[in-house]
Amino acid sequence: MLYALMGLGLALITGVLNIPNFAHGALFAVGAYLLASAANGIGNFWIALVVAPIGVAVLGLVIEYAGVRRLYAAGHDYQLLLTFGLALILSESIILVWGPVGYSHLPPPILRGGLDLGFTFYPKYRLFVMAAGGLLILLTSLFLEKTRYGAILRAGIENKEMVSLLGIDIHRLFTVAFALGAYLAGIAGALTAPIRGLSPQMGADMLGIAYVVVVLGGLGNLLGAIGAGLLIGIAQSIVAAYWTEASTAVIFAVMAVVLLVRPQGLFGIR
Amino acid sequence: MSRSTLAILAAVVLLPLVMRHALGSEIWIFAIFGLGLNLLLGYTGLLSFGQATFFGSAAYVAGWLLKHLGINAFAALGIGVAVGAASAALVGYLCVQRSGLYFIMLTFALNQLFYFVAYQWTSVTGGEDGMPGVPRPAFLGIDFKDPLHYYVFVSGLFLGSLWIMRRIVGSPLGKILQAIRENELRAEAVGYDVARFKLLAFVIAGAFSGLAGVLYAMLFGIVPLEAIGFVASGNVVFATLIGGSGSLYGPIIGSFLFIWLSESVSTLWARWPLLLGVAFVAVVLFFRGGVVEAWSRFWSWRSSRRKI
Repeated sequence: MLYALMGLGLALITGVLNIPNFAHGALFAVGAYLLASAANGIGNFWIALVVAPIGVAVLGLVIEYAGVRRLYAAGHDYQLLLTFGLALILSESIILVWGPVGYSHLPPPILRGGLDLGFTFYPKYRLFVMAAGGLLILLTSLFLEKTRYGAILRAGIENKEMVSLLGIDIHRLFTVAFALGAYLAGIAGALTAPIRGLSPQMGADMLGIAYVVVVLGGLGNLLGAIGAGLLIGIAQSIVAAYWTEASTAVIFAVMAVVLLVRPQGLFGIR
Repeated sequence: MSRSTLAILAAVVLLPLVMRHALGSEIWIFAIFGLGLNLLLGYTGLLSFGQATFFGSAAYVAGWLLKHLGINAFAALGIGVAVGAASAALVGYLCVQRSGLYFIMLTFALNQLFYFVAYQWTSVTGGEDGMPGVPRPAFLGIDFKDPLHYYVFVSGLFLGSLWIMRRIVGSPLGKILQAIRENELRAEAVGYDVARFKLLAFVIAGAFSGLAGVLYAMLFGIVPLEAIGFVASGNVVFATLIGGSGSLYGPIIGSFLFIWLSESVSTLWARWPLLLGVAFVAVVLFFRGGVVEAWSRFWSWRSSRRKI
């Protein structure tokens, strides 16, 4: 679920804006840290869960407005350098603010412990993440498929010139897409914090996986990214049960194999 | 001899007089790495964000052989070049069929594949702690443990690499690659097998990266996990771009600036990558085109003033 959220956010940014966003992992990490701080500060997990991703979305808004916007005409090399530089700034800032040592964050009291499902015993918080992630994905895809603005976003992926010829402010569209992508990364990070704990390099680890999801889903294919994210999450947990050390490398190996057979990605058309 | 060749020879001779020999060696090693990337980025128009794959793989394989089997330095270099080229052939094969954003993302994701293998195969690579104890064996009675001897060795290899790269760029192959950069469809229409030439450029760049990787491992006596991480891939892109990717000498100037700056900043503050990130952003927003372009703009501005 988390992979699908990350992949969907990144697919939105790469698809609509046509830039490689290497700060996506850092946004994920910022989401996690913001959640931990807000939850400790306010004392309420639920408010923190709402506030933290919005904070990340605002950060995304600022990044797009002050930095990325100036580079649409420049080559991918400069866009890459910008987002990569931002990723360095964000992850080092995390170390500055929260310290280099990772720590764990407990889920709220209601979601601690496990639930007996009859055939297996499962942690409550993970069930909550699955439900919340599923709901978010559903809402996002409904927004993209059913609303007018979602249609404009999808049209922006297909043909930017045509969209702006039709009188739609393409720059505002880009800003919205970036902020929405950042929001999804932020909420994925916030949901992850109680499961995997927090560490400064969590963003870098997630970044690679997010890219695999987008590549597998097929570039510019939002629903494909959701499918690929779910698939990879399942593949990883199966491998982790048998051969823990290889579980991350397997994700990338799967990607390499899939690309050999289907260079356009699992759900790619182009 | 052209002016730029003379300038580089002068730099090779002068560097050990003004800075630590190890730092000088690091600059030329990074320059070899940058030369390889620039064949892709500057001449073929392919932005690879996974050059550390070849750099790191070569460093690990050759470093392991140096450490456990005691092979000599030249054998290690040969193996490093071969590993760099082979891993680049593998990655390139998967990547060259795609272009643009997709290409960048693929090189990056495959870089992560190699990174996680190195990270989790701790019995060989040492995982997060890196692989220490890579020796710098003597050759023909020359003791490479002496920093100055090693500097001479590295800078000699750098000059050799530069010479080879200049031959490649000036050869028909180099022209074909530039044709692909300028207009891929037309190059295809003229009858060139674009994918094959891209793959070839990839393999050559991988060989240069591999050479740099082995020299790096021998310089520091350790292969750190960062050698194969994507930050290293990003650094070499940055160094090439600040130097100016359009010119053969851009990555050399960029490596000099990058290594020298990061060395001076890193002694000041433990969180120096933050400043590096700020530098990335500043260069991108205010200083595109790199040093070489800024320099030639400055010269044309001066000569145009003189005419008046």
